[in-house]
This record gives sequence, C-alpha cells and structure tokens, in this order.
Amino acid sequence: MTPTTAPSAAPEAVPAVRLDHVGKEFNGSHAVHDLCLDIAPGEFFSLLGPSGCGKTTTLRMIGGFADPTEGAVLLSGEDVTSLPPNKRNVNTVFQSYALFDHLSVADNIAFGLKRKGVPKAEIRERVGAMVDLVQLGGMAERKPRTLSGGQRQRVALARALVNRPAVLLLDEPLAALDLKLRRQMQVELKQIQREVGITFVFVTHDQDEALTMSDRVAVMNGGRVEQCGTPEDVYERPESRFVAAFMGTSNLVGGVFRDGAVHLDGGPALPVGPRPGIAEGSAVDVSIRPEKIWLSDFEPGMPVVNGVIRETVYSGPTTTYLIELAPGVTVAALEQNTARARMEDRWAGGETVELAYDPEHALVLSH
Amino acid sequence: MNPTAPPPRPRRRRGQRRRPVFAIAVTVVFFVLLYLPIAMVVLFSFNAQKSLTIFKGFSLRWYEAFFHDSVLLGSLGMSLEVSLVAMLGSVVLGVALALGLVRNKGRLGAYAGLIMMVPLITPEIVTGVASLLLFKGLGVTLNSGTVMIAEITFSISYVTVILRSRVAALNPEVEEAAMDLGATRWQALRLVTLPALLPAILASAVLIFALVFDDFVLAYFTTGVDPQPLAVRIYSAIRFGVEPTINAVGTLMLAGSITLIGLALAIPRLFGRRGGLDLISGE
Ligand SMILES: Nc1ncnc2c1ncn2[C@@H]1O[C@H](COP(=O)(O)OP(=O)(O)OP(=O)(O)O)[C@@H](O)[C@H]1O
Ligand SMILES: [Mg+2]
Repeated sequence: MTPTTAPSAAPEAVPAVRLDHVGKEFNGSHAVHDLCLDIAPGEFFSLLGPSGCGKTTTLRMIGGFADPTEGAVLLSGEDVTSLPPNKRNVNTVFQSYALFDHLSVADNIAFGLKRKGVPKAEIRERVGAMVDLVQLGGMAERKPRTLSGGQRQRVALARALVNRPAVLLLDEPLAALDLKLRRQMQVELKQIQREVGITFVFVTHDQDEALTMSDRVAVMNGGRVEQCGTPEDVYERPESRFVAAFMGTSNLVGGVFRDGAVHLDGGPALPVGPRPGIAEGSAVDVSIRPEKIWLSDFEPGMPVVNGVIRETVYSGPTTTYLIELAPGVTVAALEQNTARARMEDRWAGGETVELAYDPEHALVLSH
Repeated sequence: MNPTAPPPRPRRRRGQRRRPVFAIAVTVVFFVLLYLPIAMVVLFSFNAQKSLTIFKGFSLRWYEAFFHDSVLLGSLGMSLEVSLVAMLGSVVLGVALALGLVRNKGRLGAYAGLIMMVPLITPEIVTGVASLLLFKGLGVTLNSGTVMIAEITFSISYVTVILRSRVAALNPEVEEAAMDLGATRWQALRLVTLPALLPAILASAVLIFALVFDDFVLAYFTTGVDPQPLAVRIYSAIRFGVEPTINAVGTLMLAGSITLIGLALAIPRLFGRRGGLDLISGE
C-alpha cells in the first residue's frame, strides 16, 4: 500500500519507514502477515486494531526487538532487517513505560545521550529542554516510582524524544491513564509531535484516539492491514465490513443488491444509487453511520424509509434512537439535542417515524 | 472486663480467649534449650577465671588471649579470606546462572533449574566427602584454595535460588528500553539489570559470607593442615580440652553472624523497596 496523502512530505520523498512484505510467525501461526506499509517522514501514523491483531509485533519488528520471518524493514531507505535495536535510529515508548527505577528522572532521560557519548554540557542542556517540553519541571531529581502515571508516561516520552530519532514508536502509551488524563495527553502528544517534527508510529486499540491524533491510520485485523488512509477515509469510507464495524458505531444490515437499492431480508429496500463495482443480485451489507440518518428537515431527493422507534437513549448532547425497519432489522440514529430541545419534542417508543439519508452515505460492502 | 459494658464482640467462639498455657510453656522450654548453651558461652567468655562452671567476675582476658594466639588469628584470617572469595565467586556465578535459567525457556533451562537444586538437598557431609575424593583423585594439595572451590560450588545454589525469582519479576521491556536507547547487550545488563537486582545481590552476598564463615563440615573435609578455617581449628582445639578462649571466639563469631544476617534483612529496606531476602524473611 502506498500513501495517497502524506502530509508534510513530498510524494517522492523516501519513506521514513517501509515494511516490505513483512511477516512474523510464532510457532507456526502468523502474528503478522505479508505487511506492506510506507510511512512518510514527519507523519503521525497509527496502527489501530483489536487485541492480538499484531500491532505490538509490527512495532517490535520496526524497533528491532523481533526478527521478521519474512520480508524486510527499511528505515529512510536503508535495509535494517538484521540490525539490533541499538543500531537503529528509532526510539520506543513502551506500553509499560519501562523506566529505569534506580535512576532519577533526569538520568533516565540522559541515558540515550550518554550511550552516544554526547558531551556532558550538551546532555545537561538537552535534558533540561526536554524536561520543560514534557512539563516535568522540578521533578528532574525524583525517582520514577514517586511519580504519577501521567508523569511516568512523560518521562518515557522524554527519554525517547531527547535522542531526536528519525522515528518514534509508541505502543499504547496512553492505555494506562484514566480517561481525562488521556484526553489531555492526546492533545499534548500531538502538540509535541508537531513541535519536534519526528515521525510517530502510534499503536492503539482506541479508535477515537487514532482518529483524533493521526495523519493516517492503518486498521489491522488478524495480522493484516484491512485499510490504510486518513482518519476520514477509514471512518467515512470503510472498505470492509470489519473496518466499518470497528470504526465507531455503524449500522450494518444485510440484504441483496438489485436495481440500485439494497433489499433487506423481509423489509424495505434502501435506495443507494448505482454501484458499478457491485454485481446485481449479490448479497451485501449496507453501512450507514447513526449520525448520517435524518429524522426531520429532510432535503429534497433523499430516500425516505419508515420505521418504528424501539428505544430512546438520552446521553447529554445527543439522543440515540433505535429504530426497527423490519422484524429483526434495527438501526441506530443519532440526533443532536439542539434540534429537539424539549423533552416533549422527543419521540417515544412505539411511534412510527420517517428516516432519510443521503445515498452517498450508504456504503455497500460486498461479502 | 467491665461487667456493666456489653462485651465488644459477643459472637466470639468459646475458648478463643483462654491463654494457650501449654503452647506458651512449650515455646519457653524450646527457647531455653536453644539459647541457654549459647548464653553460657557468651557469659563464660567474660569469666575472670579459667573455670567453665563457676562465674568468678567480669574480665576480657580471654579476648586478649585470643588476640595473642597466632594460630587462632591465622585461622580467623583464613576464614575471612575463604568467605570473601567464596562470596564473590558464588555471587558472580549464581547471578549468571539465575539470569541464564530465567531467560532460557527451553528444555535445557528446565533441566538445569532442577540440577541446580541438588546441592541444596544433598547432605553436606556427602558433598564434603565427594569434594575430598575429587581433590585426592586429582592429586590436588588441600589448602585454602580447595576450601574456596568447595564452598563456591556449594553456595551457588543459594544465590541462584534467591536471585531467580527477582530476575523473573523483572520487566523484560526495561532491558529492551536500554538497548533501544543505544546500549549494547552487555551495557544493558550492567547499567539496568544488575542495578535493579542489586538489593537481592547484596543480600545474598552477605548471607553467603555468613554461611561460609560458619561452615564446618565442608571446610573440615577440604582444608589442609595449616592454617585451618576457624570452625575447624576450634573443633581441633576442643578435642584437647576446652580453653575459655574458645568461648571468646564463639562470642565474636556469634556477634559477627548476627550483624551480617541483620544486614542481609535490612538491605531491601535500605533501598526502599522489596528485593532482598524475601525468601528468608518471608515478606
Ligand atoms: N513471543 C510470542 N510468542 C508467541 N506468540 C506471540 C508472541 N508475541 C505475540 N504473539 C502472538 O501474536 C499475536 C499478535 O500479538 P501482538 O502482541 O502483536 O498483538 P497486539 O495487537 O499488540 O495486541 P494488544 O492490543 O493486546 O497488545 C497474538 O496472537 C499473540 O498471541
Ligand atoms: Mg500490544
């Protein structure tokens, strides 16, 4: 797969990371299978997928902690497949942070520079600057054990960043933090990445995180990349049932494609317009995001279907309606609560409603 | 108990509050039997007279006698030397073995782990006789070197047992992080792994020193004639009648051992973390 949109990099630039048909086998089963990825310099690239899909294994092969059983790993055009981690110009933020508990925060951060033989004065200066960048001022002499989770995470980040690697690998660095701190660190991490301009390869199983932070996302499943593209690509235009289901809430209903519409089993037909790639009469899934379903103020030309409200879920800014289109076929529709401000305006269970959508938003995924 | 106030926990089972007189009695007898002889040694080391039965006033004359006894001092020196070398040797080898055993997940590692335990369950006298036969068979002259070798062989297992659980508890990502930051395998071991194991290493070193210093059986079989380790020397001396000097030596050894064991137990606390002799202190 080649990058179609690589921000902050000319299209002909040598990729910072290239995985060339990389595979990894453990005891006869593939954790990663025939992986091809190009990651552009300066890009914030996310590997997203469910537990066990091979994200960590992929990252470890880039870092040099796991040897690929097939294929090659290239960093800035150079084949590093057989180089040990200490000979690669990448640094890693480990999921467990892996801080050196017997060293102070400052010594943790200085570790990489000392190995490289950087002069003492320069080490002090760079460590100081890094401590400020990750907002750990006043904690430089503390031991990692005396820090909070978020602070430890920052030490791990600073310890890697201070070496100015070409690529920074991050394995679910925010997974151990509580939701609020996580949101805050997401913003900070993105800011830092912009400031230092280093390529980030970011592993996460949280799709929100991947969408908000990344320039591009590779959605992985069972050791393979299912889809790779901008957050908008993978969210708005999922190419497979798996991606549609994994990226946020999706209404996936099965049916048969005929005459520019998907005919649900025992229910109405959903007009989707002509689809050149889909054969007449083939079994397909339709996916429409809940927020793409309209319940009022339809625009002219929108297909309209009838349904019965089965459930109303109020969640602050939005209300989600579960609407039955046919026996056993239910879709979710999301409405901003600005539109229907008052309680009595909301629909109740059992009411029949009309719902409409833009056919462009109805994705047809063949099996 | 105040009769007007209701008992705080009325549902307590019957008999639980009775003092366990029998258990207390057994404990007292046990401790008297255990410590009375030792207390006698300490007491009579300060006796002003040569008598070993009647205390005739306080004096340090037997300590003075010990510090003027060149044979006993020679033995003390040898024991210190043997303990130090055995400590260093067995710690280096034992730590290496623990690292190897934990990281070799294959069948070889499993077998090696089992074989490693054998010295712990072998009666020491068997190890002693076996060492003697080996040295004789090889035509080696018995001296402090042979004692050191035997003691190292015997002590490695202790070090490994103490270290193995600590090594297994290490986060493998920490060593990977060191290599990620440019350290070689050896630097990662030296700069990250060994410091993390330091409390356990120091604790086992102190323990080995104390064990070897006190050891009699193995030393007896593997030592040459002159000098002899302190424990062996004391045993030989006692066969020709007990001098109160021996009490002074015993008291000094006791004080030394208590200090060392205390140190071994205190080391993890000095480092402000767990990691020393959990195995022994049962923490
Ligand atoms: N050292 C190993 N030996 C054997 N199998 C392994 C090893 N490491 C990983 N695997 C297997 O490879 C697959 C992918 O593992 P990996 O750690 O890459 O998943 P992941 O996507 O990072 O998952 P998570 O989100 O849970 O961290 C899993 O099925 C795992 O069991
Ligand atoms: Mg993982």
